[in-house]
Amino acid sequence: MKENNNSFTGRGISKKSINKMLIIMLALVIVAPVILIISLANIQFVKNADYQQRAITQQLRETVVTPNRGTIYDTNMKPLASSASVWTIVLNPKAVKDEEQRNLVSDGMAEILDIDRDTVYEKAGKNRYYEVLKKKVDHDTYEAVTQFITENKLSCLYSIDDSKRYYPYGAFASSILGFTGTDNNGLSGLESYYESQLAGTPGWILQAKDATGREMEFGYETSYEAKKGANLVLTIDEVIQHYLEKHIDLAATENNVTNRVTGIVMDVDTCAILGMATTGEFDPNSPFEVVDPGLVRKLSELEEDEEKYKKTKLQYLQTSWQNKAVSDTYEPGSVFKSFTAAMALEEKVVKQDDMFTCTGSYKPIASMKSGISCHRHAGHGTISFRTGLQQSCNPCFMKVGERIGADLFYKYFGAFGFREHTGIDLPGEANSVYHSLETLQNPISLATDSFGQTFRVTPIQIITAMSCIANGGKLCTPHVVDKMVDDDGNIISSSDTTVRRQVISQATSEEMRELLKSVVDVGGAKNAYIPGYRVAGKTGTSEKRDIYDENGNQITDLRIASFCGFAPADDPKVAVLIVLDEPHASNISGGTIASPVAKAVLEDVLPYLGVEPIFTEKELKDLDISTPNVTGESVDEAQTRVKGRGLKVKIMGNGTKVLSQVPMSGEAISKEGTVVLFTDIISGQELVTVPNLIGMTVSEVNSVLINAGLNVKFTGSDLSSGGATCYRQSIPVGDQVSPGTIITADFRYSTSDDA
Amino acid sequence: MDSASANSARSKMEGKRNGGIRSLFTVGTFDWTFFIVTIALLAIGIVMMFSASYAYAGYYNGNRLFYVKQQAKWLILGIALMIFMSFVSTKFIRVFWIPGLLLSYACLALVLVLPAVRGVHRWIYIGSFNFQPTEIAKLAIILSFAHLIAYNYEKMGTFKYGFAPFAVILATTVVLVIREPHVSATIIICLIGGIMMLVGGTKLRWFFLVGALGVGVLIWLIFFSGKMDYAMKRIEIWQNPFLDLRGDGWQTVQSLYAIASGGLMGSGIGNSMQKYMYVSEPQNDFVFAIVCEELGFVGAVIIIILFAILIWRGFVIAMRAKDRFSSMLVLGIIVQLGIQVMLNIAVVTNTIPNTGISLPFFSYGGSSMIMLLMQMGIVLSVSKNGYR
Repeated sequence: MKENNNSFTGRGISKKSINKMLIIMLALVIVAPVILIISLANIQFVKNADYQQRAITQQLRETVVTPNRGTIYDTNMKPLASSASVWTIVLNPKAVKDEEQRNLVSDGMAEILDIDRDTVYEKAGKNRYYEVLKKKVDHDTYEAVTQFITENKLSCLYSIDDSKRYYPYGAFASSILGFTGTDNNGLSGLESYYESQLAGTPGWILQAKDATGREMEFGYETSYEAKKGANLVLTIDEVIQHYLEKHIDLAATENNVTNRVTGIVMDVDTCAILGMATTGEFDPNSPFEVVDPGLVRKLSELEEDEEKYKKTKLQYLQTSWQNKAVSDTYEPGSVFKSFTAAMALEEKVVKQDDMFTCTGSYKPIASMKSGISCHRHAGHGTISFRTGLQQSCNPCFMKVGERIGADLFYKYFGAFGFREHTGIDLPGEANSVYHSLETLQNPISLATDSFGQTFRVTPIQIITAMSCIANGGKLCTPHVVDKMVDDDGNIISSSDTTVRRQVISQATSEEMRELLKSVVDVGGAKNAYIPGYRVAGKTGTSEKRDIYDENGNQITDLRIASFCGFAPADDPKVAVLIVLDEPHASNISGGTIASPVAKAVLEDVLPYLGVEPIFTEKELKDLDISTPNVTGESVDEAQTRVKGRGLKVKIMGNGTKVLSQVPMSGEAISKEGTVVLFTDIISGQELVTVPNLIGMTVSEVNSVLINAGLNVKFTGSDLSSGGATCYRQSIPVGDQVSPGTIITADFRYSTSDDA
Repeated sequence: MDSASANSARSKMEGKRNGGIRSLFTVGTFDWTFFIVTIALLAIGIVMMFSASYAYAGYYNGNRLFYVKQQAKWLILGIALMIFMSFVSTKFIRVFWIPGLLLSYACLALVLVLPAVRGVHRWIYIGSFNFQPTEIAKLAIILSFAHLIAYNYEKMGTFKYGFAPFAVILATTVVLVIREPHVSATIIICLIGGIMMLVGGTKLRWFFLVGALGVGVLIWLIFFSGKMDYAMKRIEIWQNPFLDLRGDGWQTVQSLYAIASGGLMGSGIGNSMQKYMYVSEPQNDFVFAIVCEELGFVGAVIIIILFAILIWRGFVIAMRAKDRFSSMLVLGIIVQLGIQVMLNIAVVTNTIPNTGISLPFFSYGGSSMIMLLMQMGIVLSVSKNGYR
């Protein structure tokens, strides 16, 4: 107890203990802090740059903001391709709290997004921050997902703004427009060619994120706004495009064309493309689906053989994505005689009335065993150059080719642009295949070249060169985009007409216009004739010479039927080219099956463009007559008025007043047509059976229909020269119609005058 | 100074004269420097702990104020306890050396039979309150060693009085703590005990003996208990924490990023980016990394200097204490504080391999805060009785 007391009251600890304490104090108060401060300084001032950089890298997230893609408008600002808002639904598996939530998300998303539940469940278990559940969901789905997130207070699901390309017209002008991929990048057509302009500039958001990948509250954020892509305004006119597509689709069906029909409508002065189409187009809204009904049917037959199905489908798709008007080459055949004629006239090696003799074939080299034949095997006899072009005489043109000579022919061939890309603003322009200057020295090559065989060019080259003939000899660069504008309509850039070169003189151009008009008026392109519109052009039927069947045997009966021309001949506005690749019909000459298509297109396009018809006296005489409105008038009055227009009257019933009339007021019927006036109700119920008109001549059709009490409207070729037959009637055989109903009968010449 | 010593002298006289209950309480002025620095560190500590825990609390507890609210409660209670303790005489405290030791053993034994939490037996839960028995063990060691050294002060050179009792207490405690397992606590307890014995007068040769024994055990652990790989991996990660960026190196790397991001002046209070779940449990062992990020080198050095001042004052109080028990008690408390502070900052700066040591005044934790402030109160109490 004493000791204890001692220790309490004792003077404390010894000097020795104090010294030891001092040493330990020194260690804890000086040495350790100094070491730690050095350590801190090392981190904060020596290694700081590296560590800071690493810290920032892990803390910041850069989000790319996709810019809105530019809209593609037709020339009248109708949107052909535009972008709609869609959303990408993203899951953050790291933020899935527990098994219960994992199941909740899997069930919910499988239902709302219509995706596989197990896939979602699997994704939700991954050790990741970012898993895309579904891309490009529409607004309704997005709303449903947002509601699901809110209701369940989820932090592991979110959505990202995105956009989807939308083509309001579906499978329309798709070979021009092209399509975009899942990342909204252009994969073909204009979407691909103008990718950089349409795409715009991406923006970005730099955000601080926490270690769980979520946005940091009060965190650093900076952004750079995305810039919308430019809008394209096309030279394509939606109306003209529709006319073109309608007519080539019909032509493809009627003539059983197996390798697609393509057509181009061009402004001859500027080479602006007003319409460009190929049959069997894809729908850019779903570019990986075959939409053509014929191909769909063929595919469905293959469904059992999966591999073959896939292969064939891909083949069909690739074909449909290819813009035949630009990316395919063909032998133009007799259409090319237009250019041979133009160069011969320009070089003055031939005059229109120079005479040539055709014996049915011609040997460019005397030693040839058999000559190169004309499509008219009997020969054209001795004819003028003008007639030679009208009747598309091959020997005549072989001889003209000889007069031009290989050097000049080669020069003009290039001058018309057949050795170069036209420079059209569409992707995938094909290279033409042609004789070199050396091989052209062979008279046989020159001879076949002269009438458009043994070389291959693209449709766009042909129509561009035809526009050159029509517009006074200027070869321009064809283009599809007229201008680029921003959303406020400010022009960013516009494409001016680019004249590549003057190929032929104004005088030659004028002479060619007149000559080509005569080909339509009296020559092999008669089926392209439209009263009042002075159509000029040339047809062609070329052999496909390099096609082989599965056994390696050459297939010789395949043809390409085409027409290229322009109108009006005296003041050309538009050029049109129609190419039917591999038609299979009773008559597959260009004059018979391509010309009517061109005519139909021009018949729609020219009035639409406001081109006024100028009728010759003869044409005026043949013009259809518009039916007057006589309903409600007395029978006598009506009869007088109808007859006053030069029409016949047939009265049905015994009433005194006209209750109804067929045709209705304002409808055009041919001269000598009959207006049927109904004077009581019962008579209106007597029906007439429509007779068959196919294959009949104009006068035959007329008499059959008049006998049946029906009216006729003739369309098609210039009917005055005779020889044309009906190949299409507006109301099918056997239908029951009211008396007086107008039946439209389409006529065409069956011609082979175009080799 | 004169009045202070006069006061303490008078109280001593009065205590002696009156005896009884009054002798259990102290009167006079405590060490103001020690008190002010303590309060300053507490203030800075809770603000920085709040800032550091802000994002973590929001993410894991859904309440950004979760940790700071808890800590504030303990802080207020702790300060009250500290002030109360500053009035309690060490004579009274000394009585508890045996009960303290028994309580320590009881808790250390109890925690081993309680179910493990996160693989270790470190916490005892009483309702929502939990504490670490090692906190009690540390104080029990300090208390019992201070008593024994004071009691046997003259015979500390002998094996019987100067080594054996200490070795027995230390060994039994260490055996229990290492079973938890809790390596860092073991190291701290050994360091505290060892330093107290050294200062108390235990012969150095016994330290060499224990040291040799320790090395032997270490070699056995490394080579024969299969813990070699674990230890080597720790060392490897210490040398290059980027080797296992996503795994064991994560804590260290994120801490280094935070410190480096602070630079000279720091990003400002509340502006840490690394506390957004990059630094794991930023309110606990790695709170100082966030301090460095937000307050920069300048702030961190000021805090280290504050700690140094506190430790310095602690040693001064220990050296000036009127009796050996008080002196050794304060020495033990201050050595514990100093070691924890320095080791924590050393871990955060990757100066030593990563081991779980919290930072006094800063790290979140109710029981450790109470224990710490109680001990600060004891130091203040002793400071009154010192003579100047």
